[in-house]
Amino acid sequence: MIGAGKMKQYGNVLEKPLSKGRHEVSLSAFAFLFSELVQYNQTQVDNIAELERRLEDAGYAVGARVLELLCHREKGNRRETRLLGILSFVHSTVWKVLFGKVADSLEKGTEHEDEYMISEKELLVNRFISIPKDMGTFNCGAFVAGIVRGVLDSAGFPAVVTAHFVPMEGLQRPRTTILIKFAEEVIKREARLG
Amino acid sequence: MIVCVAVVGHQNNPVFLQSFTDSDDALKLHHIVHCSLDVIDERVNNPKKSGPTLNDTFLGVLYPMDDCKVYGYLTNTNVKFIMVTTDTDLKDGDLRSFFKDLHSAYVDAVSNPFHIPGKKITSKSFAERVSSIVKSFGSGSTF
Repeated sequence: MIGAGKMKQYGNVLEKPLSKGRHEVSLSAFAFLFSELVQYNQTQVDNIAELERRLEDAGYAVGARVLELLCHREKGNRRETRLLGILSFVHSTVWKVLFGKVADSLEKGTEHEDEYMISEKELLVNRFISIPKDMGTFNCGAFVAGIVRGVLDSAGFPAVVTAHFVPMEGLQRPRTTILIKFAEEVIKREARLG
Repeated sequence: MIVCVAVVGHQNNPVFLQSFTDSDDALKLHHIVHCSLDVIDERVNNPKKSGPTLNDTFLGVLYPMDDCKVYGYLTNTNVKFIMVTTDTDLKDGDLRSFFKDLHSAYVDAVSNPFHIPGKKITSKSFAERVSSIVKSFGSGSTF
């Protein structure tokens, strides 16, 4: 406060005003919650595909709400209608709000026209998780894939999003790639918009 | 005097409708809101202006009728807020801040993990917030 004489002393900790709070959550709290989420889902299902689907559904709900929140908080408030626009929005803004940094890279798939990839050296959600050998190709990044799918779906770009491990030379742990495959109608609409 | 406030989802499904008068023409209000959806669609598909105003959220007066006006607001996710009012002269700034408050309340209601997207908003606190926003809008514009 400008011109304040001396700081007001609060006799009781309950009388202190609530701080606005930093927009951060402790990593260990989130890791604990996420591990409980995975364990809970593991007890409910029999196979890995179902587990992945459940994590993805959980992420989908988060993604839809994150989009509403971000669009409201952002001052510019432009609605993304172009493919590259929404992809760069996910790649920078969404990642920054969720994980504190932008994603490592955004690439366009070479084999198919409708595939795009967002890569990350190590996903935040996977930091404290190691997959046992008998679970094969399961990736807890399915949660993040679900978030991306939720954001894209609510923005009007239906897509199938999956998470994969991609082994890289020179790195001990494989890189994680989120593969986004857009629906037919999105590609057609994009071609029509020119 | 604000007559009613409505929130319509991106598939034109009604998500929330609240009227603030005791008159019995709730059906008429539903009808007005429904007609204004057509106006919004035509504004979105055939934009008169291009460039920076293309993706503006506040749509302005949608439908002037003899006794009331209808204002619209479109969010990034194609959710529409519609407000019917009998006030004749309203400042643009007042309207924009009204819709901004409404948008905040809507985002909070949707962040509820028990809210199913696409279904009606059943949260009582959202209805209370909307009522308080409407009340403060009326008194804020008079000196």
